[in-house]
Amino acid sequence: MKNTFTTIIWLALILLTTMTYSIDLIGMSGKATMLALLAITMLKSQMVANYFMGLRKCGTLWRGIMFGYFLIVGSLIAIAYLMAEH
Amino acid sequence: MNQANIISDTAANGAAAKEIDSLPGDFAIWIFIFAEMLAFGVLFVAYAFTRAKNVELFNASQLTLSRTSGFINTLALISSSYCVVRGVAAIKQGLSKQCAGWLSGAFLLGGLFIGIKLVEFNAKFAADITMSTNDFYMFYLALTFFHFMHVLMGMVILAVIIMKARRGGYSAADYVGVETGASFWHMVDFLWIILFPLVYIIR
Repeated sequence: MKNTFTTIIWLALILLTTMTYSIDLIGMSGKATMLALLAITMLKSQMVANYFMGLRKCGTLWRGIMFGYFLIVGSLIAIAYLMAEH
Repeated sequence: MNQANIISDTAANGAAAKEIDSLPGDFAIWIFIFAEMLAFGVLFVAYAFTRAKNVELFNASQLTLSRTSGFINTLALISSSYCVVRGVAAIKQGLSKQCAGWLSGAFLLGGLFIGIKLVEFNAKFAADITMSTNDFYMFYLALTFFHFMHVLMGMVILAVIIMKARRGGYSAADYVGVETGASFWHMVDFLWIILFPLVYIIR
């Protein structure tokens, strides 16, 4: 059962990666696309941390540090892209 | 319930709580993991803010990268991470040979990543592209080479664990070493998960 769940997470990560690549292939761009791609990226990273690393079984402090990292890095990247000088 | 039983139960609950609260693997690797996350985080943000001042240059240079290579490499690292999870699950059941098998799969996928990156680096160097070509390539080469070195280091760690697992060096009661190596490998994976769209895709 646990291995089945891990396999589902792996397949979800593969699907999200393929979505990211497909968005590039069909030439989608713009601020909404950038934000969507960043959201997918942070979701994938959080999935690896929680389900592959096993942080979901750890204390709030460790899960908070990891979530905070993805949130801060993702937000700063988003701010930089939103204020970019075209 | 007598006092001895209460003390015993409290100690058992404390041990269980500690096991749930504590990070997987040796705590020392987590100091390293957090330090690496910080270093990569600073580079990711520096890339984004440097790009903000020169969007056209970054977008034009980004289009010269092989996004298909980056995509395949992402699939390779995610799949290798999956193999590592299965390896850890196997050793928790005392299945050393299965653990070694899954970790060998992860090692081979790491090798695929290295092979593709070498082809990519070779193409860039053949085109006379270096870190001083422009700001984009400076970040591209610095970030991807820094990460490349972490993949190599992760593969060395995996190789050591695979050899020990094959000799029966881990068991259902003693698998901290496997979890320690696994934690490092997953970090290498999620850093690439951020690096790939940032440098190859998002414009």
